[in-house]
Amino acid sequence: MEEILKIEKLKIYYKNISGLAKAVDGVSLNIYPNEILGIAGESGSGKTTMVNGLVRLVKPPAYIADGNIILNYNKNGNLLKIDLLKVPEDEMRNFRWSVISYIPQGSMNSLNPVLKIRDQIIDVVVEHSGKSREEAESIIPSLLRSVNLEPSVADMYPHELSGGMKQRVIIAMALALDPKVVIADEPTTALDVVSQLSVLSTLYQVCRRVNASLVLVTHDMAVHAQLTDRVAIMYAGKVVEVGKTNEVFKKPLHPYTKALLLSIPTIEGKRRRLEGISGLAPSPTNWPKGCRFNPRCPYSKDICTEREPEEIEYEPGHYVSCFLYGGE
Amino acid sequence: MRQTQFDPKLIIGGIIISLLIFLVLFQPLLNRAIIGDVNPLTVGIFPIYELPSLRHPLGTDRFGRDVLAVTLLSLRYSLIVGAIAGAISTIIGIIVGFSAGYKGGLIDTLLRGLTDTILVIPSLPILMILSAYVKALNIITMAFILTIFSWPFSARVIRSQVMSIKNASYIDLAKLNYMSDFEIISLEILPNLLPFLGVSFAGSVVGAMLAATGLEVLGLGPSGITTLGMMINFAIGQGALSMGKWNLIFPPIFMLILVFLGVQLVNMGLESTYNPRLRR
Amino acid sequence: MSALLELNNVTKVFSGARGRRIRAVDKVSFSMSEEKPQIISLVGESGSGKTTIARMILGLISPSEGDIYFSGKSIYSMDKGELKKYRKDVQAVFQDPYGIYNPFYRVDRVLEIPIRKFNLAKSKDDAQKLIHEALEAVGLRPKDVMGKYPHQLSGGERQRVMLSRLYLLKPKLIIADEPISMIDVALRALFLNILLDFKDKYGISCIFITHDLSSAYYLGEDLIILYKGRIVEKGKTNEILENPYHPYTKLLIKALLPPDPDKKILSSIESDIRLREDVSTYKEDSCLFVDRCPSSMSICREEIPPVIKINENHEVRCFLYYDKR
Repeated sequence: MEEILKIEKLKIYYKNISGLAKAVDGVSLNIYPNEILGIAGESGSGKTTMVNGLVRLVKPPAYIADGNIILNYNKNGNLLKIDLLKVPEDEMRNFRWSVISYIPQGSMNSLNPVLKIRDQIIDVVVEHSGKSREEAESIIPSLLRSVNLEPSVADMYPHELSGGMKQRVIIAMALALDPKVVIADEPTTALDVVSQLSVLSTLYQVCRRVNASLVLVTHDMAVHAQLTDRVAIMYAGKVVEVGKTNEVFKKPLHPYTKALLLSIPTIEGKRRRLEGISGLAPSPTNWPKGCRFNPRCPYSKDICTEREPEEIEYEPGHYVSCFLYGGE
Repeated sequence: MRQTQFDPKLIIGGIIISLLIFLVLFQPLLNRAIIGDVNPLTVGIFPIYELPSLRHPLGTDRFGRDVLAVTLLSLRYSLIVGAIAGAISTIIGIIVGFSAGYKGGLIDTLLRGLTDTILVIPSLPILMILSAYVKALNIITMAFILTIFSWPFSARVIRSQVMSIKNASYIDLAKLNYMSDFEIISLEILPNLLPFLGVSFAGSVVGAMLAATGLEVLGLGPSGITTLGMMINFAIGQGALSMGKWNLIFPPIFMLILVFLGVQLVNMGLESTYNPRLRR
Repeated sequence: MSALLELNNVTKVFSGARGRRIRAVDKVSFSMSEEKPQIISLVGESGSGKTTIARMILGLISPSEGDIYFSGKSIYSMDKGELKKYRKDVQAVFQDPYGIYNPFYRVDRVLEIPIRKFNLAKSKDDAQKLIHEALEAVGLRPKDVMGKYPHQLSGGERQRVMLSRLYLLKPKLIIADEPISMIDVALRALFLNILLDFKDKYGISCIFITHDLSSAYYLGEDLIILYKGRIVEKGKTNEILENPYHPYTKLLIKALLPPDPDKKILSSIESDIRLREDVSTYKEDSCLFVDRCPSSMSICREEIPPVIKINENHEVRCFLYYDKR
């Protein structure tokens, strides 16, 4: 199956007082049609910066230093291959929302407090499609129903909604123009546990229904286990492992993934001592030489401190960057 | 090292203020260089109404005084009045603002009532009456009179800053560390307010200078000295406007603009450097 | 026998906008044993009053009603000496590892101040030795953190320095208010392990406040479930998780996502849970969970449910079990 979005060696850097920070440093990933791809990693691993890069919303002083983002875009039956990093900004603006829509972290707090939900949805639709206000208005009831909200919510103001409802409105907006890819960055982090669950299930259903791919960024491994088809594990600005969620959870390859999965408390099964990962997360201005995980890695060998491992396909569709599996 | 990127506004404002301070500190030397070792207010040492020339860069006035030398002296006194009034206002503001903001409750209600009352009183008429009544109006009494109406501004803004810092988690930690209220105020809250107090002080200085200028232009300045406001008053009195003697009225106004501009730029610069919400 | 800590009908009423009064904490009572170190987890969502309870125990705010006793002595009628001892014995680690540091000072100061205030060291060298030992005890290298400003450390490092502060003080009780919600997954496990070690090695008890049932399960022992300021269920953690009584506890357990791709629960339960987001209005003289409760009865809207003892350790506040009294 051909990927809808192909990220090649994406690099996003920024300068700060202590030097050049390589926040995202050569990420290659494919996003296939109708799949849910999880991006996991701790804070500082570059996952948010990476997805900002996908829609070219990198905030200065950060900038995209290198790479390609190839969009395979079916426009009226013509298959176009477009490098999103090479198109002019106004063309890029046409792709956002209508082809790739992005739900940034905390966006439920970015609803305009003085406008009714109806007007905010209409504004988005009119701004990013050729539709008239009337056309935009006509899709609102079914749009709200698709995210499990009553159509009457359209006439409410953001402060009348709970956190979960606001997040649903955001999801409705993101899906208003039938995008091919939806990117959601920590969409439920600020919600309480029960709302988290219901918002996630809504996001899942609605993406499946409209056949959009979902890129779900979260540090919560349980969410990845529950929702994603494939998961990419990021560490220190790189993807260290990517594969089918089942396989990654059942048979994690990279020592970092292993440790991460062993650090999650769960009420399932017998209580066992959690291991955690000793040592400190490295800084983007000064990534460790060689494999970036080597100072914290229990299996570190000489070569790990000298060279960066290449990504290898250990099993079909299961990639890892670690010298334990070759790649020398 | 703190990661502080200085705003260009802060740098330009800083240069202007340093220049003004330099002029004030070295006024006696500059005076000697311009007109020799005499009081620039002495009447009749030069010809009257001279146009700007190499010898008198800003010309002379009706009494034959060098305008540049008079302007520098006026700037000195104006800034001294402003600085004294600003310092007293800020000190009162710190005391009132900290006790109201930190303690809250009844003390806060009482002090806020007092500051709000003073803030709504129209100050200029009362200042006019006061300065007209005070017999020996000199720099010090002038500064004190100005303070009466300027401290509530400082108190008010300091109080709100204290109230916001009071709720920071590190204040809770200080309490868990068994620190006393006095230690918390002086060691935890005050240091974080230093840039802010600087801004507040500069604001009070400008406010006092503005009020002082207002009074002096009306002719209610201290006696025996000269200030920028009194220069303007004097120039108007001499008919400088109708006679087109711009060299008499322009220099004090220029100096006042320079003072306000400098302080304002520093304020804005500090704001964007230290206020994280404005930082990008 | 007096308890280490006892909360007796502690209530906190805040006055909100337009004269509205909010009972953030409503008649909360529980106690901790003096003899045996113990970890109690207080679990609740935002608005459950869990942070308010923590702040009252720490004496940062005082209750509107009820009293808190430490070793049999009310903490609001302590004299100076007793208060100082209370401050040393009852310490805290908070949620936000950023706001807890005064940005004006170097990190060292959060360790130096308690040493000075509670006379933990005889000399400067002695103090330095203590600080080094405390940092190493929580897995930090002193040279990595000493002399740095807070913004130069990561959230995890800052939170660990706060733990080393507790190591330094060795209090009898730690109030941990959502200490792991803002740090990375990998560090959470280390953090929880340190709390367990504190209990096992130094006999330090802990009140662990969280919204996450699974970390409460990991710490074990005792569990208190809070909902809108009231204790709805209280008992041994294992027992509650295996056999929850209160409908809210059941909902919380159901909402826990297993980190296992073979146990996908999202599709099976969402229709059931979707409508149970919190939209209820607060009505004081009723069960506060009634609007979200799948098994609510008419009496639930009319009266405050009584506390029902299921067994010696297990209590639930719900009319469903009225006949079990």
